Amino acid sequence: MRIPCPHCGARDAQEFSYLGAADPQRPDGLDATEAAMLDYVYQRDNPAGRHRELWYHGAGCHAWLTVTRDTRTHAIESIEPVRRRGAGAAA
Amino acid sequence: MTRTWTPLGAWAGILADGHVGTAGAPGVIALARDGLGVATLIAAEGGEAALAAALAKRPGLDLPSSPAVAHAGAHSLVWAGPGQWLLVAGHRAGFPETLAALSCLAAVSDQSDGRAVLRLSGSKIRETLAKGCMLDLHPSAFPVGMAALTAIAHIGVHLWRGDDGPDGAVFEMMVPRSLAGSFWSWFAASAAEFGCAVSVAEMTAGRG
Ligand SMILES: [Zn+2]
Repeated sequence: MRIPCPHCGARDAQEFSYLGAADPQRPDGLDATEAAMLDYVYQRDNPAGRHRELWYHGAGCHAWLTVTRDTRTHAIESIEPVRRRGAGAAA
Repeated sequence: MTRTWTPLGAWAGILADGHVGTAGAPGVIALARDGLGVATLIAAEGGEAALAAALAKRPGLDLPSSPAVAHAGAHSLVWAGPGQWLLVAGHRAGFPETLAALSCLAAVSDQSDGRAVLRLSGSKIRETLAKGCMLDLHPSAFPVGMAALTAIAHIGVHLWRGDDGPDGAVFEMMVPRSLAGSFWSWFAASAAEFGCAVSVAEMTAGRG
């Protein structure tokens, strides 16, 4: 699988590390219920198809990237720096 | 008795002037660069314009915003990721002063003793690098002035293409100093079939 890094160009997947789903947002600290934390830490969908996920280009530009990928074909629909999500974005 | 402490170059004990592999005219030429000033610059959030203005004034370099290298006199500025650059000086005279002048505009980290740089050329250099480099280094894909961060033989490599020299395309390769021996072991084995002339650059003034 090759990942088209928006900074470096297309690179082999071995240059990247996979973190996981991009959408779960950490609940707000001490106010979060146990159930909300359990959901955030452990509960993940396992879609056959479109999946938004976080990848780190560790052997390249050291940027975190949000990749939208089809888990059945590895086709990448879009990729963008996590930084664009705005200040305080996770990871 | 007077004792003199002499700092060792990054390639000392790893390679020496000579020839590796197949005898005859070398297909690959490796020059170990020594005594360089090397530093990483990370612009403060939103401070890229101010850093660019300072570097344009001294040493007169344009901040590359894509994977590329800019040169001015003895200095080069290599893209190192979004908002990050590598400043390389041909010698260390005045280098601490240059870094001090930038320290209020960027996170500056002197890596002069932390990185090791090889200048590689020769008619078989692309064939040699293709044995471990995942990037397409064909001139149409990797022109003069382009830079990249990648991994070769599991070692993080920062590479850029300098101006063509008498032996054709010139690739500068920088690795962490602690991995210079491992990198050389891969490179020497890969270049051996083509014959590789090895030399260590003269120590330059201002080494510190
Ligand atoms: Zn990248």
